[in-house]
Amino acid sequence: MTAGESDRDVGGPSRRSLLATTGALIATTSGCIRQTRSIVNRDGLDQLSLTITTLPADGDRESIQLARELETVLETVGIDVSIEMRSHEEFLRAVLINHDFDICVGTHPGGTDPDYLYETLHSRFADESGWQNPFGYTNLQVDELLERQRTVDPDQRDDAVAELLDAFAVEQPFVPICAPDEHRLVRTDRFDGWGEGHPATRLGYLDLEPADGVDRLRAVNTDARISENANPLMAEYRDQDPFVDLLYDSLATEHDGDIEPWVAEDWTWDDGTLTVTLRDDCRFHDGEPLRADDVEFTYRFLADTSLGASETPAPSPQYRGLVSAIDDVSADDDHQLTFTATTNEPVAERALTVPILPEHVWESRSEPASVPGVQIAQGTTEAVVTDNWPPIGSGPFRFDERGERDFVTLARFEDHVSLRPEVDLPEPTVDSFRVQIDPRSTSAIENVETDAADVTTRPLETYVIDDIEERDETQVLESPSWTFYTLGFNTRIAPFSNPRFRQAIAALVDRAWLVEEVFDGYASPIAMPVPAAWTPEDLAWDGDDPTTPFLGTDGDVDVDAARSAFEDAGFRYDSDGELRVRQ
Amino acid sequence: MLVQVLTQLAVVVTVMILIGVAVFVGRYRLRDTRREWRDRVLAALPVTLVLVIVLATNSAARQDVPDLSWIIDWNATWAIYDIEGEFVLWLQSYATPEATAFFSFIYIYGYIFLLAFPVIAYFALSNTRPLRELLAAYTLNYVFGLVLYTFIIAYGPRNMMPDVVALMYDTYPRYQSLTRQVNRNTNVFPSLHTSLAATVSFLAYRTRAVYPKWAAVAIFLGICVAISTMYLGIHWAIDVIAGIGLAYVSVTLATLLVGRWSLADSIDTDRLRAAIRRR
Repeated sequence: MTAGESDRDVGGPSRRSLLATTGALIATTSGCIRQTRSIVNRDGLDQLSLTITTLPADGDRESIQLARELETVLETVGIDVSIEMRSHEEFLRAVLINHDFDICVGTHPGGTDPDYLYETLHSRFADESGWQNPFGYTNLQVDELLERQRTVDPDQRDDAVAELLDAFAVEQPFVPICAPDEHRLVRTDRFDGWGEGHPATRLGYLDLEPADGVDRLRAVNTDARISENANPLMAEYRDQDPFVDLLYDSLATEHDGDIEPWVAEDWTWDDGTLTVTLRDDCRFHDGEPLRADDVEFTYRFLADTSLGASETPAPSPQYRGLVSAIDDVSADDDHQLTFTATTNEPVAERALTVPILPEHVWESRSEPASVPGVQIAQGTTEAVVTDNWPPIGSGPFRFDERGERDFVTLARFEDHVSLRPEVDLPEPTVDSFRVQIDPRSTSAIENVETDAADVTTRPLETYVIDDIEERDETQVLESPSWTFYTLGFNTRIAPFSNPRFRQAIAALVDRAWLVEEVFDGYASPIAMPVPAAWTPEDLAWDGDDPTTPFLGTDGDVDVDAARSAFEDAGFRYDSDGELRVRQ
Repeated sequence: MLVQVLTQLAVVVTVMILIGVAVFVGRYRLRDTRREWRDRVLAALPVTLVLVIVLATNSAARQDVPDLSWIIDWNATWAIYDIEGEFVLWLQSYATPEATAFFSFIYIYGYIFLLAFPVIAYFALSNTRPLRELLAAYTLNYVFGLVLYTFIIAYGPRNMMPDVVALMYDTYPRYQSLTRQVNRNTNVFPSLHTSLAATVSFLAYRTRAVYPKWAAVAIFLGICVAISTMYLGIHWAIDVIAGIGLAYVSVTLATLLVGRWSLADSIDTDRLRAAIRRR
């Protein structure tokens, strides 16, 4: 993958053997040959050559721009850079599943709670595939801090998180760049109640108030992946989209940062044990009852999709951190479950937000996937590769039909618990929910403006926001964002494994300037990867990064200062100004 | 929106073709065509069938080509960018609203007219060879294009450099729904728009003795289509050059193939002809 590697493999041995042969001819004594060997058998340092893996503008206009700005900056400090663009799912496959990258630039789903860092950075996940530690970061002290914040008394969690972030600031396992502002365009003449729930979650599409005679919600989505794959476990196809949420119920749902009951009627916490009571008579879309056994199965399955049949566990590439908070689940009867948690209450409660999978559909997917004549990677179960059409969940909408890269239609699930008079939950208020795929923000906007759609489900690209004309019947909806743009290092390989190198790179990212240049100001630069409420004051963005301030002004790097930073970190420059490292 | 765009497209292109027929083909050729159309249809039938089969396969395969390409995983975008740099950006620095409107029109309407009109113009000739060469060359373009698309992943300039405005899609978002049905964004090398347009131009130059005015128009339109793909930020200059190369290869091969095998002769055409007359 990296150019430097291949150069050495090709150039090294041939040069070495040539010199050795010449040396042998000249040298007549054995002492001379030994010295020749000592001289010849030393590897030289090559110019650092790296590839930035990112998305094309069709998938994510901001990422490629960030990558190109970064390319310019890195070239000026003597690094040879190339950019590789991959489609959404191929980008995620390269980074999350195969760890085949040097540096990646893209969005991270982040989290409203800092515990997502446990999944992202704990060394026990470094070899797994998925959102669990894609950067291959390993540090025993950080491991300890990650564990501490999820096990301390909730009152002391603030301090534990602050301590963790202190370590993050020094280590820079990845560089958070900015949190984009989320804007969506909605039609207010057909629906009321937009923005009561976050439109990246199920709650954004429930309890909407349709105008008279309106029984269909029409969304336009700029990402085609939802029409190609409906597997909630596949990290390559999932993003921050509400559709899995609408198709699959979970025990609890997050609302404005609080974890509230959903399919669970309620739960009690008692010293590491969560006792959960299910609502009566819940059903899956195929009519099968949703029993406590299905819930128990879900947690076992997410922890090991091979259900113990594989030699090594095959954990799900999604929800890994959430599920790891639960040590054991048992169904006491049809309606009650006991969860044994390994964490404190706030973290354990979050584990209740994973989608509930029907056992009768997913159990057979624990088999290893196979393609005739091809060796398949260990731990590849059917569950992590199936397209999952039709998705059978128990959520407020059920799958109706789809056209690949064209549309997906959902229909109201009449048996959903929220529709019962005695249950007070946000409910689906329309008969059908049609999601039209349209790959560009400009045409998505035109769809809403011409009354062909009611909402743009994904946030609009920032470059179009200034051009949106607000009319009487449309409205720009602004929502808080916990996703962020980031520069990720593959810390499994040199020199990205070196925290000093990562610090030096972090100081080359002018976040304030990038926010203006790339995001037209519609983003906030960040120094820490957690929401502001969790960021201690001394680490928060204060016009610059408090620990790794930008070496330069207005996007222009002070080359001498940057070089000194690399040299102080122990790296060397040659006379041509190329950064030479051992790769 | 798609239906509306398609209807508009059909109407405009039909009008253009009618004008083209009136200007370039003329009354006498039409009169002869009315008399001889059966023979000409029969002569062009085999190659037309091959083209239809290739087009059908092509549109079916297009769905799966990107998946196959990602399994092969030869990503050429950076290599292309490394060679030609920001040429497209430079070209766009001369953009004006009039030019954008003109090239958008050329890219959609002009291109379809350019491809459709010679089929009718050559059909109006007693000698069916230009028609058969044209259809054979179209077929070869699609075959080679599909093979190259399968092996090479390349994103267009607007994907690499978002500062390159996707002029047409941002100015006229409605066309997005049209081209989305046809194009996948990893298939830019070579430019099939350019290669098909250049194919028509090459053949029009060859038949300049019969259609002198059309030769001039076709060459002009061909050049405009090639420029439009770059101006609109859809293709790299290298894609366009490769497209012209592909057109040259296709036309040369088509000439050889059409000369060598006359499929129509090997079918018992007399019986077929008789069958048609009986109707």
